[in-house]
Amino acid sequence: MTIPAPLDEVLGELPLVAARLTAPRRVRVDARPENLPALLELLKGRLGFFHLSAISCVDWLEEGQFELVYHVWSDKLKLLLSAHVRIPREPGEYVSIYDLHEPAGFFERDIHEMFGVVFDGALSLDRFILTSWDGPPPMRKDFDARKYAEETFSTVNYHPDWLKDIEAAGGGLEE
Amino acid sequence: MTDKPLKANERPPAGAEEAAGPAARDAAGPGQACPAPSPQERGVWRKIMDRFADHCRARSLFVLHYCTGCGAIELPPTITSRFDMERVGITPMVTPRQADILLITGYLSIKTLKRVILSYEQMPAPKYVLGFGSCTINGGMYWNSYATVKRLDQYIPTDLFIAGCMPRPEAVQQVLLQLIEDIDSGRANAWRDYYRNYDFYLGNQQALFGPKWNTPTDVIGEAEHYGLAGEGTYGPHTKLLAESGGTPMELARAERPARAITGRRKP
Amino acid sequence: MTLLADIVLMPLIAFVTGLALVLMARRVRARIERRVGPPVFQPVYDIVKLFTKKTQISHGVMHDLSIVLLLGGYITAEIFLPVPGFDGLAHQGDLLTLIYIMMVPMLGLALGVGSCANPNGSIGISRALTAMLAYDVPLAVAVIGATMTYGTTDLVKIVEIQQAGGVATWGAATMPLLAIGGYLAVHGMFGKEPFEIYIAPAEIATGPMVEMSGKYMGALFVMQCFQLYTIGVLYVTLFLGGGENWPAFLLKVFAVVFVSIAVTNVYGRYRTDKVVRWMWKWPTGIALVGLMLVLARQGA
Repeated sequence: MTIPAPLDEVLGELPLVAARLTAPRRVRVDARPENLPALLELLKGRLGFFHLSAISCVDWLEEGQFELVYHVWSDKLKLLLSAHVRIPREPGEYVSIYDLHEPAGFFERDIHEMFGVVFDGALSLDRFILTSWDGPPPMRKDFDARKYAEETFSTVNYHPDWLKDIEAAGGGLEE
Repeated sequence: MTDKPLKANERPPAGAEEAAGPAARDAAGPGQACPAPSPQERGVWRKIMDRFADHCRARSLFVLHYCTGCGAIELPPTITSRFDMERVGITPMVTPRQADILLITGYLSIKTLKRVILSYEQMPAPKYVLGFGSCTINGGMYWNSYATVKRLDQYIPTDLFIAGCMPRPEAVQQVLLQLIEDIDSGRANAWRDYYRNYDFYLGNQQALFGPKWNTPTDVIGEAEHYGLAGEGTYGPHTKLLAESGGTPMELARAERPARAITGRRKP
Repeated sequence: MTLLADIVLMPLIAFVTGLALVLMARRVRARIERRVGPPVFQPVYDIVKLFTKKTQISHGVMHDLSIVLLLGGYITAEIFLPVPGFDGLAHQGDLLTLIYIMMVPMLGLALGVGSCANPNGSIGISRALTAMLAYDVPLAVAVIGATMTYGTTDLVKIVEIQQAGGVATWGAATMPLLAIGGYLAVHGMFGKEPFEIYIAPAEIATGPMVEMSGKYMGALFVMQCFQLYTIGVLYVTLFLGGGENWPAFLLKVFAVVFVSIAVTNVYGRYRTDKVVRWMWKWPTGIALVGLMLVLARQGA
């Protein structure tokens, strides 16, 4: 299967966009950050990509970038298109697509809470998931969740007899 | 993963060292279990009535149908036809005021723990808490998560735990029968521990929710009413409680953003 | 002093029979769902458990008084309801007094729930009163028709008239349409699906019972026993020939409640406005046609 012709045409209108078919009905598009809102608007207007399924974010710590993925679904073409953009980790800002797709309101709020990405023009960037959180954005790769959990919560030091027997015989838990 | 229920028996002895920071670590070694009221203190008539009341209480239990986490998926099979819970007199009820058993099914995020504590304090005594699933025992699958509590019995007193992820209905049945036996013999008294050691529980709650945490229920007043107020009831944390202002509803409103996503913005 | 004995024994018999009716309701529901159901003393365990709760949460004087109204209304109703061997005050008070007194518990519940300050409770009680508005219309038509057929409102005489000629003189045989309309209204009075709008556990957290705990809830459970008994006996007295002796009487009462419970467990719940609309259409329509037949027969 190849990318359907109407979609190929639309994608060809924008510069420097790489597209390929990853599975039947799944198209992956790598776009430049400045082109993405225009791409989404073109897709919505011309090819019926009315449904924003999700916006996800990936933290590439070594490369110093956030990757934002916009998943849109077209009922006309029966195709899910995932548009990937990379933005620099510092300052972690991007434009909001709320006026294009209303569900973006929640997704952008969620990504702001979990990764710290600021969306310019978003409907609201207030916390709603971790309401009493006062630390750094927890989904970032430089946040040590295990250390935080060990410091905040206490756990049972569980050393039962059967484990002692195993350790006496030379075995034990792997760390 | 063993399916045997574990009894909660770690409580710090009175005057345990409280860390200055946010952690409230358990003192090393087991503390004292919740003692039943001494039988010698009661008269004959009181003993007969208590025996009759315990007999009836054990055979008619209302479970609060509040499904906290993913462990709740094993609750419908236990209630419905195959593993019928009504045979032993257990039925689900919808409000805390009518329920005896609070089942904490699965992990508890900090947000949920607040509401669970509010529900727990609304339930009329005697009440029983069952920790359902490994997440309530020692963190379970979310042992390294920043947003879930690791041990349930540090925040509310728990009678029994059910290990498993999720425990099968057979394990749930076994623990419910164990609870019935405990109630029948007068051993299920963890609810009194909330009043006896309120400072400990309140300290852990304040460590998570902040020093201004308080609930509409006057726990100290209730403790004094039942005659269970002791040295563990008052402490530095209850002093903070007395100074805090605002009910949890006001605190929750302060947390929630003032503006909700309503209406359509014009393009 | 037989009146004193009646006043004490009739509510007691009602309570014990009501416990058996509640057990039957739960067992029938369990069998329909292909499971076993609670043990025999379950209603007793429930009530004792609720009354021995150590925390009793009261919402004020009106809340406490509402329980008195609730139970007192039904206990009074028992004394006006003749059963085999006990007449009580049935000679002094008639059918209309009984119908009037049977409205007192719901009003008591309304007053009590109003003092609870829980929106679920207020919604629940407004639904309960709406349901009362719905089922009272066909019930009134059935009662009027029955009164016209028997020519008296004295319940003892009604029972005697029905027992005079065996099954052929039962109300269900002489005025079948009114009996059907009356039964549908009685099903609404039980407050069971599809007319269970006032409890509605999944929608409004059991409505009026939301803030009731401990002894208040225990009193509501006791009220449920009385409710099943009173409504069943009312229908049996009006349309099924009353009780010649205790076994036949209990059989009839259990049969009335059994049919209602069996139908209930295979239905969902109607919307509030649908309850009113349905009740004012079908049972009322059938009962009105039956009433017209009664009038025609009397005019002829």
